[in-house]
Parts: sequence; C-alpha cells; structure tokens
Amino acid sequence: MLTFTKPFRDGAGFDTVLVTLALGYLVLFSGFPLVYNLVMSFQEVDLFSLASFDRPYVGLDNYTDVLSRPETWGIFLNTVKFVGISVAAQLSIGFALAMFFQQNFPGSTWLRGLFLAGWIMPALVVGAVWSWILAGDFGVLNHVLMSLGLTSERIFWLSDPNVSLYSVILANIWLGVPFNMILLSVGLAGIPEDIYEAAEMDGANAVQRFFTITLPMMRAQLGAVISLGVIFTLQQFDLFAALTQGGPSNASNVFQYWSWQLSFQYYEIGVGSVISVLMILFVILVAAVYVRSTRHEHIA
Amino acid sequence: MDLKSIALATSGLIALASTAAADPVELDLWTIDDPGEYHYVMADEFMAQHPDIKINVRTVQFEDMVNDLARGVATGDAPDITYIDNPEVALFASRGLLLDLKPYIEQSDIVNAEDIFPGPLSSVSYEGGIYGIPRGANTIALYYNADMYRAAGLDPDTPPRTWDELYEAAKVLTKPEDNVYGLAFSAVATEEGTFQFLPWLQMTGGNYDNVDTEGAARALSLWKKILDEGLASPDTLIRGQWDSTGTFNAGTAAMSISGPWELPRMSSEAKFDFRAALLPVPQEGADRASALGEGDNVILASTDNPDEAFLFLEFLYENMDRVWNDFGYLPASKVEVKDPKYPEIYAVFEESMKYARNRGPHPQWPRISKAIQTAIQSTLTGQATPEDALAAAQTSIDKILK
Amino acid sequence: MMKKYGLTTIALCLVSLYLFPLYWMYVTALKSGTEIFANPPTFWPDNPQWMVGEVWTRLKMDVYLWNSLLIASGVTIIVAICGTGCAYVLARIRNRWMDVVLFIVLMMQVLPSSLMITPIFVAFNQVGLNEVPRTSVILAQAAKVLPLYIVLCRATFLQVPRELEEAALVDGNSRIGAFLSIIVPLARNGILVTSVLIFLQSFGEYVYSRSLITQRALQPATVGLQSFMGPNTSDWSGVMTYSAIYVTPVLIIFVLLQRQIVSGLTSGALK
Repeated sequence: MLTFTKPFRDGAGFDTVLVTLALGYLVLFSGFPLVYNLVMSFQEVDLFSLASFDRPYVGLDNYTDVLSRPETWGIFLNTVKFVGISVAAQLSIGFALAMFFQQNFPGSTWLRGLFLAGWIMPALVVGAVWSWILAGDFGVLNHVLMSLGLTSERIFWLSDPNVSLYSVILANIWLGVPFNMILLSVGLAGIPEDIYEAAEMDGANAVQRFFTITLPMMRAQLGAVISLGVIFTLQQFDLFAALTQGGPSNASNVFQYWSWQLSFQYYEIGVGSVISVLMILFVILVAAVYVRSTRHEHIA
Repeated sequence: MDLKSIALATSGLIALASTAAADPVELDLWTIDDPGEYHYVMADEFMAQHPDIKINVRTVQFEDMVNDLARGVATGDAPDITYIDNPEVALFASRGLLLDLKPYIEQSDIVNAEDIFPGPLSSVSYEGGIYGIPRGANTIALYYNADMYRAAGLDPDTPPRTWDELYEAAKVLTKPEDNVYGLAFSAVATEEGTFQFLPWLQMTGGNYDNVDTEGAARALSLWKKILDEGLASPDTLIRGQWDSTGTFNAGTAAMSISGPWELPRMSSEAKFDFRAALLPVPQEGADRASALGEGDNVILASTDNPDEAFLFLEFLYENMDRVWNDFGYLPASKVEVKDPKYPEIYAVFEESMKYARNRGPHPQWPRISKAIQTAIQSTLTGQATPEDALAAAQTSIDKILK
Repeated sequence: MMKKYGLTTIALCLVSLYLFPLYWMYVTALKSGTEIFANPPTFWPDNPQWMVGEVWTRLKMDVYLWNSLLIASGVTIIVAICGTGCAYVLARIRNRWMDVVLFIVLMMQVLPSSLMITPIFVAFNQVGLNEVPRTSVILAQAAKVLPLYIVLCRATFLQVPRELEEAALVDGNSRIGAFLSIIVPLARNGILVTSVLIFLQSFGEYVYSRSLITQRALQPATVGLQSFMGPNTSDWSGVMTYSAIYVTPVLIIFVLLQRQIVSGLTSGALK
C-alpha cells in the first residue's frame, strides 16, 4: 500500500483513493496492451496466434532482425526529425499566437476560438485536405507559390523523397498549433497582471519581461505542453496514412507507422512489436525528463 | 383466383409457418461492399428465395479484412461466409481455416470448376483443394483520350501495342505547357503497385518468384524513363490507381492504366472520347499478361451450416452474368453477358481477362508483394539501379519462399 | 485605438491563413469530382453543387452523429470523474511516490491506438464487452485520453493557492468538502477547457470504433466517413460534404461558447 506524507491535518486516505482510481483505470485499460506488446516482441507471432499468449519465444531474434534491416536507421532518423521539428515549431508558433491574442484588441477572443478548428477536424479529413493542397500537379500550394513567383518548378511535396517528410511535418504542425496555443493561453492568463506592471515601472523592456516573468511563470505549462507534444507527435498516424504512407521508398516513414505496417500489412507482428517497445523506451525518457521538470514548479 | 395459385399460396403459408416454427438458419457474411452493392443485393434476393435462411451482412473495410478475419478466427467470432481478396486466399487456406469446396462443387449442378477462367480458378486453388468461388474478376488495360490523340496527330484507332510505342505515344502526348502528362499509372508502395507491375514482369517471362530478370529490369527502366522525362507525374509514386485515373478524367493525363472499376465515374466525368486497349507488350509477338483482381467468396471451415452457405455461393455463381452490368466487374467464368454496358471497352477487358494471371498463390503473399514494391520504389526514386533493386528483391523473396 | 485595430487586422490575416485548409474543405465539398483534379486549381467552384441533404439522408448521418455524441460524452464523463482528483493530488503532493505516479500516467499513452487495439480487442472479447460495443469504445478511449486530462488539469490545480484550501480545512471542512466546494470551483475554467478538448478528441475517435463496433447503427461519424472513403468508391466532394456537416456544428458551438471558455481564461483562473 502506498503511504503518502500528510500535507494536511488528515485524510491521506483521500489522496490515495483519488490516485488509485485513475491509476487503476489506466493500468487496467492501457497497461495491459503495453505489456502485451512487450511480450510479443520476444515471441514469434503471426496473425492467427494474436489472441493467445501461448506462442514460441524467440529471445532477441526480433530485435536483431529489426537492427539488421537496412531501412531501420533511416526511419529512426525520420522519427527524430518528425518529433523534433514538429514539437519545436508547434511550441514556438503556439506560444507566439498565445501571447499575441493575450493583448486585448477587438475580436481577440473570438478570433482565437477559430484557431481551434484544427483540433476539431477529424484527422482523416485533415489528411485528405492536405493531400490536395500538397498535390504536385493540381495542388493549390504549388499554384500559389508559382503565381507569386516564389518557385518556378513545381515541388512534388508528397512524392519527392527529399521533401515528403517535411510535408507531413507541415501538416502536423498545423494540427498541433491550436493545442499548444490554448494551453499556453491558460498559463498566460494565470500570470497576475500586476507583476508585469511592477516590472514595467522598474524599466524592464518587453524582452526582459518575457524572459524574467513570462518564461519562469510558465514553466509548468511549458513542461506539460512539450512532453505531451512529444507523445502526441509520436502517436501521429493518420497523417502518414493519408499523405504518403511513409513513402516514397520509406523517405517519410516513422516508427509509429512502420510498426503498424509491419504488424498489420506484412503480418510480421513480432517485429512490429519491437518497434513499439523502442517507442516505449523513448517515451520513458521523455516522461522522466518531464517528471524531473515538475520538481521546479514549487520553487518558482 | 384459380386452383393453382391457391395451392401456391397455401404452400407458401405452410412454408412460412414451418420456418416460423423452426428457427431460420443464420449465416454471417462479411463483405467489403456497402449497402446497395453486390453482396447486399444478392443476400436480399437470396433470402427472398430462401425464407428459411437469414443472412447477416457486415461491411468490413477492404484494408482491414485480413486482420479482422484473423482476429475473428482467433476469438471465435468468424463469419460463415466472407469475401477475400484473391492473393490472400492462400494465407487462410494454408491454415486450414477455409472449407474445401471441391466435394461440394463435384456434387453441384450449378458450379462447374472447368467453366471458371484459369486465372481466377488458380486464385482459389491451394494444394489440390478449391477454397472459394470467384465472385467476379477484373484486370487492367490502357485507357486513352482519343481527342488528345487526334490533336497530337496520332491515330486513335491504332493505340500503342508495344512498350516502345507506348513510350513514343506518351512523349508526343505530354504537353507541359497545358499541364498534360502522357501517361497515368500507379507505382505506389502498396498492393496496387505490385498489381500494376506484375503484368510487365510476366510479359517478359518472369513471375513473382523470379523477379531478377532482364525483362523486369527493362520494364523498371522504362517506368523510370517515363517518370524522369516527365511523361507521368512524380506523384505516380504515392498515388493509387483511382486517383491517378482521376487526373485522366480531368484531362491532365492522356492515357491511364487501370481497370473496369473506373468506368462509371469516367462516363460521368470524362468530357472526351475515351477508349481502351490491351496492355502493350514488350515487343511484337511477345506473350501477353494482365493483372487479375477482385476477390472470392469463401466459406470458413468453422461454419455450422456448410450446406446452406454453399447454397448461397451457388446462387452467387449463378448470377455471374449480371456482374458487369449491375456491379461493374468482369465475369470470372464462361457466361454470356447480354447487352454489356460500354460494349467496346467490355470487349477489350473481356479479351484481357484471357491473359489475366493470378498473384501468387502463396501464404506469405504480402511480404513477397512488399519486396516487389520496394524494388519499384527504390528504382524510381533513384536510390538503386533497376538491376540492384531487383536483385535485392529476389534475395528477400527467396528467403520467403525457401 | 488605431493600434488595437491594427492588431485585429493582423489577427484576421493569421486566422485566414490558418483556416485555409478549412476553406479548402468547404470549397472541395462544392466541386464536382473532376474539378478537384483540375489544374490550375479553382478557388471557387465553377458550378457549385451543395449536396448536404443528399449526403445526410443517404448516409444516415443523424445516427452516426448521435453515436459520436454519445461516445464523446461518455468518455468526457469518465475522464472527468477519474482524472480530476488524481490531477489535484499530483499537483498538491510532492514526493517520490507522486513522481512515480506521474511517470506511469505519462507512460500509459505512449502507443497510438492503432497499435493498442489488438490486445484491447482480445481482452474485451474475453470478458464479453463486445456485447456492448459503444461502451467498450468509451472505456478504451477514456483510458487513451485520461493521461492527457490529468497532465493538463494538474497544471490548473497548481495555480490554486494552497492557502485557500488550508483555510477551508481550518474552517472545519472535510477533505472531500474542501475539494468539492473550494478547489474544484476555483479550477473550474481549466477543468472545463480540458474537458472540452477531451470531448473534441473523442468526437473524432476512429481506430477503436472501427474495430470494436461492427453494427452500422452503433458506429460513430468517423467510421461512417471512412467507409464512405473506401479506395475505389471515393467521391471526394461527397466526403468533404460529409466532413463539412460533421465539423460545422462543432465549430459553431465552439465559437459561440468561446466567450465562456476562452474569456474565462483571459480573466485569470482565479476570478
């Protein structure tokens, strides 16, 4: 049984109940699938033995199989790029927008609400819309760029192996900006106005105010947004399915899509599970960083 | 009301009464069709004729069918009858999950295995058994825009017959200033890419188990040349057949390689004189080959009512002559289609069916197919020469076949 | 004053840039199949065809949307009940155990639904949950979004001053009483916004519903859309009409509720 320090007069049991409720639910419904994946990564699994645990163990065979494939390294790098660029861009654009809409101007709240469209639209639809916008021949993005004279040649956003990953990143940034913006808005709204006023009186300029007040006060939100951003980006699946299917020639493939392809298109389920396990390891890292970052919340 | 109809009515009543007394046999049918399409229509008609049998139809997405079926089998939720895409039959048959229909077909007055075309028959055959009945078939041919042919000074009555002629025609028809490509096809990294490439390989004597051939390298080099010279859109690499043919319908491609499923949309949207021709061959007199698509009606070995299920399969087979006009695919057996829609194009596809060859059969088909897709994609993106890519594919395929 | 309207203008530009894909969805819904592939693309359809009524009745969208609503509401309720307390405790107590809990919570949403579905399907089947398919989607999806809710709500609770709660306890409130009557009302804006986000996410849930719900009459709108998008029967303007029907009401409600939701944020969490 967990025992917690008693921060209040009584009722540590109350805290235990609250935590156990959520944790129990999660372990029941999400923990089981994770363990299942882990087990499968050490087994020889095929489509028809998916439902039983009674499968031959093959030790690390699936792992060596993954590591010996020529495409693994490239797909790993793609995953890192996809996550890194997406999160960085979503965060900075989302933060900029949140600060911009924080200013009180006519229509600010109303216009901000419209940004949530990206959150509402089902990923299937987002994928279809972007696939037309980015289409090489009849896509509107190429049309606009060429009309403005920004490029003379058509860019084949989805089928040029040098570009396709970045096209998916572009669509993913679009999808993630509202989430970042709205969460950071919540944080910004929580910073008392008088702190800024005091700093302004002390002669701090806008940049100084940002670094000395906004950033430190936003630590909790930033930590949450970044770690959730990484996890969400690692889960982005529908955009790959709709835009490039990881192609051409794996140029835009990432772990989460590859794992699915291996398991459900080529029926190499054990190997697909290895990729899932690698992703779990990565998230362990991210989660650890996040948990560490929360230590500073109360000091700030 | 004469006596005969009274007799009929009473016997009908008795039939109704007896079915009400005995529970009707229920058959679960999985399909990729939506309501209003083949399996739904056929199930309704069948139930009208056989009030003692009830068919529950469920739609499963095409790309989920194998996974859902495998999961259904594993958890005991499998249907009695299902649609399976033809390269996947071997996977299920090899596990003993499908009912061998051979004894049933031998007893049947309706189904005669010899009437089924060799390609479709091979797609349901596995190690001496017959594990399904093709519900129809499709194949691919070369669609072309006759108006563009005339405008470019080509004769629309003599479409390209060889690969060289195809390349020349594509070159003449490509008009970058008008945003027109000479050819649309699909080299996408899915089963569709394999589907489009396999005939090219087979025409030169290769097959899925023998891909590292000179002919295959020639085919891939031609595909690469067509893409490199801008005769087809670079998006060919990521676009399926349906979307590629969409550009043909919109007048931005002068020719398109695709199948009969395009016709309903083409006839409503293509505002020009469109025609079809057999797939070009490597050189005059070479063997013909074409892809074989569509799926099969199979009965799961776990069914409790194999006789009723086979009765339904017989009924589907009996209606084979309707599939072209009513559902848009080709018959898979020798039947006469009366008054076919789009008669000239039907004639082309009907002939093309004679050359249609099965993919596989092999229980590991998806992995073989993936090796072929990888060869196509790495060649077309310039990551490997056709020869190297095909050699690599052969190595992976040999490992699977071993 | 001029400066303020200048900002409004910039905001308008940003919004229209951002909403371009949304505009493109509406325009595509109005185009004919072939015009979608036209080159150069048309910014306004030559011959707009608005097929809302046709798509609505042909695809029985009322049934689909009702199911989506049901699923999204169920998920939001479960998540709010299970998650709020946990988020609060995680915000209040700092020790190693809480670090572990927070860590586990984050870990639980690492894999995409497409990789979680098989074990879930198998397990649900064993315990008979497949008899109640919508409920099983609600249960699975709630587990999927619960970590998100906890992390976001936790950030909100951090902003509720500890002193207020301590004061309430000194006044003789029980822990539950203080939690429900003081803490939750103070954090209500954050809870509300997070719940709305959860609701919207679940409204668009697709992977679980596709696998767990086999009966058409119980499927949500996303599954209906996907079956309508099938590889060879796709009618893109129909698909976009469907999407427009699906997105527009949510968008309108959101823009209307926005005053309550977002203006609540801008005035600060504590007022």
